[in-house]
Parts: sequence; structure tokens; C-alpha cells
Amino acid sequence: MSNVPEGLTAATLPRRRRWSVRCWSAPRWPGSLASRTLITLLFGLALVQGLGLTIHAYDSIGLQHFSEARDIGVRISTIFRSVISVPPEQRPRVLQELDLPSGWNAAVGPAPTAQLTGLPPQWLEDVVRVSIHSLRMLPGQHPRMIVVRCDRRSHKLEVAVHLPDESWLNVRLRLRPVLFWNSPTFLAAFVLMTIAAALLSVWAVRRLTGPVATLAAAAERLGRDVNAPPLPEAGPIEVRTAAVAFNTMAARIRRFVQDRTFLIAAIGHDLRTPITRMKLRAEFIEEDELRGKFLADLDELEAMVAATLAFGRDASRAEPAVALDLPALLRTVVDEATDAAQAGEQLRYHGPEHMVVQARPMALKRAMANLVGNAVKYAGGAQVVLHRGGPGIITVFVDDDGPGIPPDELERVFDPFYRVEASRNRETGGTGLGLSIARNILRAHGGDVALGNRGGKGTRATITLPA
Amino acid sequence: METMPHVLVVDDDREIRELLARFLERNRFRVTSARDAREARRNWPNGHYQLVVLDLMLPGEGGLDLARWLRTQSDVPIVMLTAMGEETDRIIGLELGADDYLPKPFNPRELLARIRAVLRRSSERAERRVEPAPRGLRFGGWLLEPARRRLLNPDGVEVVLTGGEYDLLVAMLDRANRVLTRDMLLDLLRGRQAGPFDRAIDVAISRLRRKLEDDGRHAQLIKTVRGGGYVLACDVERA
Repeated sequence: MSNVPEGLTAATLPRRRRWSVRCWSAPRWPGSLASRTLITLLFGLALVQGLGLTIHAYDSIGLQHFSEARDIGVRISTIFRSVISVPPEQRPRVLQELDLPSGWNAAVGPAPTAQLTGLPPQWLEDVVRVSIHSLRMLPGQHPRMIVVRCDRRSHKLEVAVHLPDESWLNVRLRLRPVLFWNSPTFLAAFVLMTIAAALLSVWAVRRLTGPVATLAAAAERLGRDVNAPPLPEAGPIEVRTAAVAFNTMAARIRRFVQDRTFLIAAIGHDLRTPITRMKLRAEFIEEDELRGKFLADLDELEAMVAATLAFGRDASRAEPAVALDLPALLRTVVDEATDAAQAGEQLRYHGPEHMVVQARPMALKRAMANLVGNAVKYAGGAQVVLHRGGPGIITVFVDDDGPGIPPDELERVFDPFYRVEASRNRETGGTGLGLSIARNILRAHGGDVALGNRGGKGTRATITLPA
Repeated sequence: METMPHVLVVDDDREIRELLARFLERNRFRVTSARDAREARRNWPNGHYQLVVLDLMLPGEGGLDLARWLRTQSDVPIVMLTAMGEETDRIIGLELGADDYLPKPFNPRELLARIRAVLRRSSERAERRVEPAPRGLRFGGWLLEPARRRLLNPDGVEVVLTGGEYDLLVAMLDRANRVLTRDMLLDLLRGRQAGPFDRAIDVAISRLRRKLEDDGRHAQLIKTVRGGGYVLACDVERA
């Protein structure tokens, strides 16, 4: 039973499709733990980085403002000092000789030019004022008044300084544009850091949620094969504890299944001897009709014991999976049913001549024989149709044109010993285990079987198998 | 009818032993029965047995060990009685050289038919001096494994056969390159499977051809012989 893995891929296929459907219907919040954790983490990361960037930008702007104001103040002080240190007639020449930054313009006039009307921000005015006033000057050379005007839209600034000799020094300049960060490398580093943190989160989330997926896969495998290999008990403490708990549970289930199998095998074994004796005794009954009936009853009893044994065993059968020709197996089942029921006209196989699958021959044949046998029993015939149902999936239909099954019983008929009410009569007989056994076997192959009604024309059993 | 064949029945259930002895005696066999392996060994030198019916589930020394011991003594044909579904025992038994098996609870008439078929085969074998059941029979790229009752195609893919197809194939492989009439085939297969054979032989042949990918019109393996018969036109290699 250990070579199921091929089955896994195909069996998870429809499930994966279902998952994506669920994803479509609720696109706002993804289903998986990994995506949820990742979204939360990345959202948090973005928030922290955004806030950090804002704080940094404000800080940087404040610093730039201060240093620019300082700069302006110092420069104006220098101009002021140059201007008052020479007699008034030499002042224009001195001003011309000054090396002013671009956008600066300085002139001496009888009055403040005052073209701009807006007031500068308080801090700018304060810093400029303090810088000029803190100049160390000879007595009587201090500026008498400082007027600062500004146009915030065009980033223009006007500073008018009233000189001790009644004239005004008018300086006009353009403020430097403010940068949110001081250097382009800072931005690059910041972006790089963010990407690195995001990638780290993705990796960590994958690593953390990986064991959950492993656990789910192991549970899935256990559901199909109680002898599936145990989970590796490694990793962080929580993961290890979960793995140990899971393995313990698997061992208990295995034990339970084994006990049940042994019990059923023991019952079957104990019944064999009396049935054998009765069959031998029946041979000594002289009356043909009575002997026939006796033997028929014993055959039925034997079939029931065989079915019960098969049901108890199939879950843990050790028959190895081999490459086999599925059409040959289906033809064999159809031919044997034909020979047994003499219903040749109603039993047909349709499908390709050859198709190789990996399967346990005896088990798969039993499953198919049960399904075909059911159709023959209730409908007197069956059409077995084989085709590829899609990538990685093989589909077999067993169609009959019998009375069908009530819709609410289509699923319950797979329960052990459950039988549709109409079939609880002597003629159809049976153990009520055939469909349970078939489903057990097919699921152990990584496939499944479901029943459906063919629109009043009978029943269709749909069998899927991994290709 | 020649002398009554002497059969040794080994089974641990007293009543089954007695009933089986009565049943076989009524069908013209001479029967000695043994309770376990020890009694069987003790009885072995006393009778000249043509066949052993052996229950594999024996107390003490198991049936498989007894079968192994019997093989060291002679080529006597062995029909095993096995528990239902106990594949491994059956396969080991057949590989040890048992000739046939029946799962318990068996149908007495089925057992009778198997015993007769095995006796017929063993007498043929004695005439032709052919070694006992091989592990595998190779023919035209195909491989038949009698112990596992399975057929593998040239690619190693298992091709499942019905009981009737299997018996037919074995009968033809035993007589490869010999023309077999429908009557001969009927005779070889009679009793092995329920079901009326006659036209059934033709049906079984056509089913078998289909499984062997042997086109009916240009059959390569199983050829139709004009005048009513078939021949497996292929060399069989015993492995």
C-alpha cells in the first residue's frame, strides 16, 4: 500500500480547483494562512516604513530650513558689513564686486523696495534677524531695522535692512527648493531595505506555514492509506509536538484498523470450517432439488463471508500496485459478469483497446466487478464506458437502464450494510457491502466512485482514477 | 476404468476429513486421511499416493512445510486448500510446486473437478517426462506466471484474464504447436469452470485473442485450423 503517491497528484487536482473557486468568490481576504499572514506582515511593514519615511522627511525639511535661514542671515550680515564699511558713494561698486549666489540681488536705496507683501514663516524671520543682529559691530553701526517679506508661492524672499545712515540695503533672493531626503542614495537604500524586509517576511511565512501544509498532506494520505509513512518529527518545538501527536494518532488508528481486520479475519476463518462441512454434507442429500437449494444457500452465505472479509481487509491489503491494462481488466469483468448472468446482450464495453494504469489488479477488479454486478442485479445489464476525463484523470462510467436510485439515497448506498428500501427483498439479496468495498478500493487508488441518475433512464456510476 | 487413485487428505478438522473421504470414495477414489503433518509423514510410506489434498492451515508444522517435505519425497501432485484471500500462502504454495489450489470453503464438486484435472495433467506429464510447473512461461514476448495466475504483455503490463481465458491459455501453452480440436479443448477444460462450453470455446478463443492483441483474421499466436481446431503457433520457453 505504500505506492500511492501517483494517486496523490490526481486526487488533489479537483480539490485545487475548488480552492481557486473559493478564492474567486471572496477576493478580499485570501483563504490560506500563508497569504493572510503575509498580507498582515507586509501591511505592517508598509505602515512602519511609511511612517518612518514621513518622520525622516519632516526632520530633514526642518534641518534644511534652519540651515538655509542661517545661511541667508550670515550672507546678509556679510553684505551689510561690506556695505557699511565703505562710504556711500563706493557702495554700488562694492556690491557689484560681491560674489553673490545665483538668484541673489543686492542694492542700496533710499527706501525698502518691498515688492513682496507676504510675511515669511516666523522661524525664517527669527533666524535671519538673530543672525544679523548677532554681528559684532562697532557702536553706531548696528542696523536700525530689518524688514523681511516673502512670497511663498514663488519661493522669493526680500530682506530690507535699514542702515545707520538712513539708506536701505535691499536683498532679494530665491529660496532653495526643499528636498524630502538629503541624498538619492538614501532613497535607494530605503527601497532596498524595504524589499529585503518583504522578502524575508515571505520566506519566514513560507517556512512557518510549511509544516501546516505538510500536516494537511499527511492527514490526507492517512485517510487513504493507514500505513502511510509517519511525519518527520523535526523542526521547531511546536511543529515537532504536532508531528508527534499526529504520528501517535496515526498509530492508534492503524492499531484500530488492524484489530478490526484481525477480528473480521478471525470470524471469517471460524466460519470457513462449518461452511465447508455443510457443503460436503449437502453432497450427500439424495434429493436433487433440495441439494441444489442447500448449495445455493451456502454459496450465498459464503459470498457474504467473503464480502465481509474483503471489506475488513481491503483497507490494509498488501497487494502491490503494478502496471496493468485497464481495458483488459474491464473486458474481463464484463465477460465474467456475462458468463455468470448469461446477460450477454445487455453487457457491453466501450472505450480504447489499451490504456495502462498503475493499480492493484485484484482489488481494482473486485471494485469494478462489484459495480458491474450491481448494475446486472438491479437492471439486468450494464454499459461500461472508459475514457480520459481530463489531464491526469481516467473516467469509467457504469451505466444501466434500471429503475434508478432515489436522489437522497445516492450517497447513502455507499454506507456499509445500507441498502435501498426497494432492494430489501430476497431475490436481489447481497450483503450491502459491495459498494462500500468498491469505494474503499477506488479511494485507496487515489480515485473515487459516485452514483447518479441518468434522467429517468437508469443509474450511472462514475469512477475516476488517476492516469 | 483403471485402478482407483489413492488420495491423501490432510486436514485438521475431523468431520471435514471424514466427509471428504466419504465424498471422494463415492466418486471412485481411495482415501487415506491425516490429522496433521506428523500423521501425514507417518502415512506417507504406507500408501502409493497419486495425489495429496492439503490444508495449508495445520496445527503445529504448517501445510507449507509439509508441502516442501513432500516435494523432497516425490512429484506427487498437490491440491492446496487455502484460506480466503491469503495470497502469499497461495503464491508460495504454487511456487513450491503445488499443482492447484482452492480457497476454503470450497465447492466439493469443484474440488473433484480440480483433482481430476490435476491427475490428468500429471499422467500426461509422466508420459511426456516434462518437469513440474515452471515459474514462468514465455511465448512471443508474453509472460505467463502460473503461481500468480497472471499474464504480462511484452511491455511488462499486466493483462487481466477471466478464469476461463486463463485455463484455456494454460491448456494451449502446455500443448504449443499442436492442433487442438474444440472437443479436445472442451475435454481439457471441462469442470474447471462452470458455464456451458461448446460455442463457448470459440467465444473464449476470440476473447483471448483480443487480450493477446492477436487480430482474428491475421492471427499470429492462436491460429484457426480449417476443419475445426486451434493451434498456439509459438514456441514456449519455460523459465
